[in-house]
Amino acid sequence: MSTVLVNGREQQVEAGDTVALLLERLGLESRYALVERNGEPVERARFGEVELASGDRLVVARPVAGG
Amino acid sequence: MQDTLTIAGRSFGSRLILGTGKYESFANMRDAVVASGAEMVTVAVRRVDFDAPGEDITTFVPEDVLLLPNTSGCETADEAVRTARLARAGGLPEWIKLEVIPDSRYLLPDPVETLKAAKILVDDGFTVLPYMLPDPVLAKKLEEAGCATVMPLAAPIGSGRGLKLRDAIRIMVEEAEVPVVVDAGLGAPSQAAEAMELGADAVLVNTAIARAEDPVKMARAFRLGVEAGRAARLAGLIEEQEAAMPSSPVGGTV
Repeated sequence: MSTVLVNGREQQVEAGDTVALLLERLGLESRYALVERNGEPVERARFGEVELASGDRLVVARPVAGG
Repeated sequence: MQDTLTIAGRSFGSRLILGTGKYESFANMRDAVVASGAEMVTVAVRRVDFDAPGEDITTFVPEDVLLLPNTSGCETADEAVRTARLARAGGLPEWIKLEVIPDSRYLLPDPVETLKAAKILVDDGFTVLPYMLPDPVLAKKLEEAGCATVMPLAAPIGSGRGLKLRDAIRIMVEEAEVPVVVDAGLGAPSQAAEAMELGADAVLVNTAIARAEDPVKMARAFRLGVEAGRAARLAGLIEEQEAAMPSSPVGGTV
């Protein structure tokens, strides 16, 4: 097990876990999950292949109501 | 000939764009969008709160309506660019309502940072719709930078005060070669009509509809206001006169 930071909160992941797996574990199967990993946006098409590494800082965002 | 609005090569039958903020529920927002006839709505981008994830707003937006993510909450060009790239990577359209707002009392946009972000985002392939103070010189610079529209505010966001900056917007309309979208501050359908009569290509409305007693009825009212104002613009308004001009014959009275 290793630890990543998701929106500033610690989250345990296992070696080989991908962004897609993390989103699933967080219950975010919504149409639009927006992900940034260590300051770089992650393309939606690559969620299933980008593997997490210990110490990664992730931002998970999404569209919300707004003007 | 059908009167369509074209932004960056995409045609819209409606000249009313809606913001999705401040509705009592997403269902109410969806009904208002449908009643308004809008074909484009804005959404904001925020971090997910894992303790209260809530519903996915995109599932409440009708399929054929274009989602326009905004960069609200961004105070610098760098923050706006970051937000736009995050939205695009995650699958939102490559269109961005660019707002860079460092001031929380009047929510006025920073022209220097907005222009800086616009240049970066246009170069990066985005269709950029910048929110701005109605400054005709800045509008030209944003246009030259490749922005798809210019979006001057009528009055501060959410204020409902109407076309307070009317004269500057009129000059922008006269000089702009991209669509002018009056965004923010409109409080009533009559004000939306006034903006369209002035020559705006479209208006963007949020608070005046979302916070009305009946948002769905108000959405329809704005639709009619925008249509009336546009029709009047195309029909050609009379010129104002200082004194009265009789409508009935002056001679031959009994």
